[in-house]
Amino acid sequence: MSWGMGFKLSHLQSLLLFAVLISIAFGFLSRRRPIDRLKYIVWSLFLFLLIGVGIGWAMYPFSR
Amino acid sequence: MADETAASAAAPQDSRREGIALAVGVAGWIVPGLGHALQKMWGRAAATFLTVGLLVILGTGMRGNVFSSSGNDAFDALGFLADLGTGTFYLVARSLESNGADVSHARGDYGTRFLATAGVLNLLSALHAYEAARGRKA
Repeated sequence: MSWGMGFKLSHLQSLLLFAVLISIAFGFLSRRRPIDRLKYIVWSLFLFLLIGVGIGWAMYPFSR
Repeated sequence: MADETAASAAAPQDSRREGIALAVGVAGWIVPGLGHALQKMWGRAAATFLTVGLLVILGTGMRGNVFSSSGNDAFDALGFLADLGTGTFYLVARSLESNGADVSHARGDYGTRFLATAGVLNLLSALHAYEAARGRKA
């Protein structure tokens, strides 16, 4: 990541940041108790990454 | 008879509550997290403010496209509506994009998605605040 002409994030860094931020927002909005929020955030983050990486690999045979 | 009296007394109260809920929803749209803060839901207010703010900063930093009202097609109009969902943060995004958008690289395209997601997330949060103010969610 560089802070010169803008953030230069790799694909994986972008995916990670996006997944973390959205998971936190979803966790706080949809659950009330802290432990439930934490569980929801972890589960949502795991699914974001699993599906994101899964779709990436599913597209691999068609990339060239 | 008693039921009718109770119903007529409850109607103005419901109307007032609906008006307050609407104001809370609009406040939540204009300033991300304000709708929840007005209801003393501090965790949700902070989470909304920070996540929407970070998505906007990252999106503009990655040189994503901040759509304006003078778009050429329906996709530009939809992008503008999504970006407008961030409320006042839309103006922040406009002021931060000093170098303009660059969607010729993947990161610029990701930045555009970050900005649109920030707007839609803030609209979702404002809707949640509105429903909470109506007493339907907590």
